[in-house]
Amino acid sequence: MVETVLLVGVAASIFVGFNIGGSSTGITWGPSVGAGIVTKTTAAAVMTFFVFFGGWTVGRNVMETLSEGIVTVDLTLSAGVAVLFFIGLGMLVANVFGVPVPTSMTTVGAIAGLGLATGTLNYATVAGIVTWWIVTPVIGLWIGVLIGRYIYPWVNRRVDIEKSEGPLLRLERRGTVPTPALGPNTTRQEFGTTIAVFVIGCYMAFSAGASNVPNAAAPLVGTVDGLGADTAIIVATLAIGLGGFTIARRTMDSVGGELSDIPLLAALFVMVTASTITTILSWAGIPISLVMATVMTIVGIGWGRATRPVTVREAVTRDVGNAEIELGAIVSEEKVGETAPRIGQPEADEVLRGDDLFNPRAIVKYVSMWIIGPSMSTILAYGFFTVLPGIA
Amino acid sequence: MISRVLVPMDDSDHAEHALEYALENYPDAEITVLHIVGVPSMMMGDAVGLSLEDDLEKAADDRAEPVIERAREVAADRDREIETVVGIGHPARNIIDRADDYDAIVLGSHGADWNRATRRFLVGNVAETVSKRAPVPVTIVR
Repeated sequence: MVETVLLVGVAASIFVGFNIGGSSTGITWGPSVGAGIVTKTTAAAVMTFFVFFGGWTVGRNVMETLSEGIVTVDLTLSAGVAVLFFIGLGMLVANVFGVPVPTSMTTVGAIAGLGLATGTLNYATVAGIVTWWIVTPVIGLWIGVLIGRYIYPWVNRRVDIEKSEGPLLRLERRGTVPTPALGPNTTRQEFGTTIAVFVIGCYMAFSAGASNVPNAAAPLVGTVDGLGADTAIIVATLAIGLGGFTIARRTMDSVGGELSDIPLLAALFVMVTASTITTILSWAGIPISLVMATVMTIVGIGWGRATRPVTVREAVTRDVGNAEIELGAIVSEEKVGETAPRIGQPEADEVLRGDDLFNPRAIVKYVSMWIIGPSMSTILAYGFFTVLPGIA
Repeated sequence: MISRVLVPMDDSDHAEHALEYALENYPDAEITVLHIVGVPSMMMGDAVGLSLEDDLEKAADDRAEPVIERAREVAADRDREIETVVGIGHPARNIIDRADDYDAIVLGSHGADWNRATRRFLVGNVAETVSKRAPVPVTIVR
């Protein structure tokens, strides 16, 4: 009986890990694959390694929170399996309806529902987690705005990320010992930026492992009948890797491809910011969604840039050909407060305003998913464990 | 008398049908095709990519080019000229804000099929919203 439950649990864990692998590999490597810096296969292989690395180290803190922190007693194996099914259900909803349901939040919700039903919920821990869920998007947005408004334009003027024809490196055979040298068209800056893109991808993969491995692994850990933490981490990593090699080929084009609409330099800023937020919180044992941190940073950067003040000096230093347009941009900035429609003006005089791109309602919808997702999983798990107390 | 018709278009077949309908049924009207770029999406990629451009106008025009070009071809097939305008951001709000300058709006029942649920989640059903809120008559073409 126990073996059967464990087998079902491992299968559920693999399903969850597989889906996580698909989505997080897409977000992590989409921009670099889109820019032609790494291949999809390399991306999946590197992803698997760093996901394991993140899960094995920082991820343990999150696992501890999930399996021992949210409920005051250890999870039983059957309860863990049920929790995995709720996580899987959340992913199914996300896939079918194409809405972002954050896995880390669904997981916490499902375990909290179990705690509510059995009266073992650790309210202090849950309150701490929820507080960070509220604070994190605000921090991400704020950092994004700072980057978009002040740092990005400055760096963008100085750094040029490009991919030249031919291999990045070649082997220099003229000496007695072959040594690697820059490829035929590789400039020193291209070499530097390519390495940077790669390293940042690894960093994000690490943070994805730290935050996501526990979702697939933790429900099976912490019981006499369940798996040991090490085994569960390895199973989750393999499942995530499997997702990375298979369905991520598609997600790198969809979700990741959308990130390719952003200049690579901006995507790198997003990746560093989101990974840092996720790694720090995971280290502190707070389950956090990498996607949430990513989306808020992206929106922050775009919004910060769209609402940037155009200084007169900046406008004047541009060449004459652009001066007229820049003048229009300054005028449009001054009109930000103006709400009355300009009736009867010909369309040609219209000036596009960057801040129109950021409809507050779209952001409210993201936020609503971050409330509805975990709430639904809490309610469903609560109902489930109330009706079937034997499983808990 | 309907003399100015606004036809908001995306890259879908439905949008093209809407333009064909407008050209056929308003033979004497001035037809303006509106294409909106930087529409909210899952990761806000398009919108943010656009806002990071130095020259927003040019970047928006570049992105709108394929749809605008297609619209011109459809019109040219019927020996008609069309006005074109590019908007950015939220489609429904964009259309409604401009509606006062026109006598009628003609648009497709729904947009491109890929990832329809996502689009619906983030931007809603454009045709539905426009038909409810626009100050002028709205024709929805299937």
